Amino acid sequence: MAAFAAVLRKDLRVEIRSGQSTIALFALSLLIMVVLVFALSPQPADRARDGAAALWVALVFAGMLGATRSMIAENENGCIRALTLSPIDPAALYGAKLTAAFAFMAIVEVAAVVLITLFFNLDFGADLVRLAPSLMLGTLGFAALATLLAAISSRTRAGDLLLPILAIPLFIPAIIAGVKSSEAALSGFPLAAASQWLGILVAFDVLFVTVGALLFEHVIRED
Amino acid sequence: MARPAVETRALTKTFGVTPVLREVALRIDEGNCAMLIGGNGSGKSTLLRIIAGLSQPTYGDAIVFGENSRGLGLARRRIGMLTHQSWLYPNLTARENLEFYAELYGLPHREDLAMNWIDAVGLTASSNDRVREFSRGMEQRLSIARTMMTEPDLLLLDEPFAALDPGAVAIVGNLIRAAIARGCAALLTAHAPFDLDIEVARYQIANGRVMPLRDEPRAAPRSRMGA
Repeated sequence: MAAFAAVLRKDLRVEIRSGQSTIALFALSLLIMVVLVFALSPQPADRARDGAAALWVALVFAGMLGATRSMIAENENGCIRALTLSPIDPAALYGAKLTAAFAFMAIVEVAAVVLITLFFNLDFGADLVRLAPSLMLGTLGFAALATLLAAISSRTRAGDLLLPILAIPLFIPAIIAGVKSSEAALSGFPLAAASQWLGILVAFDVLFVTVGALLFEHVIRED
Repeated sequence: MARPAVETRALTKTFGVTPVLREVALRIDEGNCAMLIGGNGSGKSTLLRIIAGLSQPTYGDAIVFGENSRGLGLARRRIGMLTHQSWLYPNLTARENLEFYAELYGLPHREDLAMNWIDAVGLTASSNDRVREFSRGMEQRLSIARTMMTEPDLLLLDEPFAALDPGAVAIVGNLIRAAIARGCAALLTAHAPFDLDIEVARYQIANGRVMPLRDEPRAAPRSRMGA
């Protein structure tokens, strides 16, 4: 647990000091929102649907960037080898990287929700609160998947290209569930109306976190 | 009878069809020091990575404190390793880097420990500077402090004197001798033999094979750049 806390604290410290990931994620989210709001020109009836879609596009792209940055920092100067040789349990290491990625994404999402509310002319209120479960579950699942895949892609020459190719197809079912549950929340439906989609998100979270914790050791080890 | 810290048995490593190590048989007992001499790409670093469990042999085994390197358990934390990469975080200061590793290894009094080791490698004035701002030699010194700080029982040092000035060479030489004096085993690599003022078993590695080095005049360790 101390090693988990050490890695997490180190990741947060590096990020707060450089701000690279958070600033880049925020800028990317803003860009996506601007492009989509002009491309879709949403009518009042479609605002919830289009807003949910824009939010998840921002979440997926921001998540990929955040996870990649986190693993690139570990590969710089070969630090991941030091962590491999240290007494830290690989699952704890994965947990720390996942928690850091989740934290960065969550910060950006708060900003993205504010932007989407403004750009899509949505109401600040209970609808946004109801959005929280699908966003949190979606963020956890995507951070879990992206952290594992970023560990693979960051070791390859064309890693930046490889990550979306690997991540998006695997995450599509969760994206669908996330968009649908977010749309229900933004449309003002009660949480129970999206329970089926939230259940799917929970299942994917369990799957991605478990697989990540089991495979991370093999992914970071050399041949 | 001295116990082996490291023992390799017919250790073979190939990358694709290219053999890098061929049936390497090497034994280093606790409290002993061995030096592996070889040119660029001769397989020195690969051998060290396999012993540390960071890379898997194609055939054969490396036994480290009685554990097979293919799945090191408790023996892992008894290894201190220095590679061509510093294993330091550029955006953290020297002190933060060492404190992080001290916490990772569960060492007590990590703030004092980190400062003591920074002092030991002569980086006191730069303790609050980010590693990104360090010269190659300063980074190498801090990396040596990172390696030694956990008081490992086995030191795997890949060209430990690379990029160091004469003052730092003396400091690092003293640290290595002190570690061996307390019973630590050490395997060092270098491009050419040098004198460490202690008894060292010298081997050369060529064409993937490791064999004892025939006696020849040796120089004191000098600063060397690159692999």
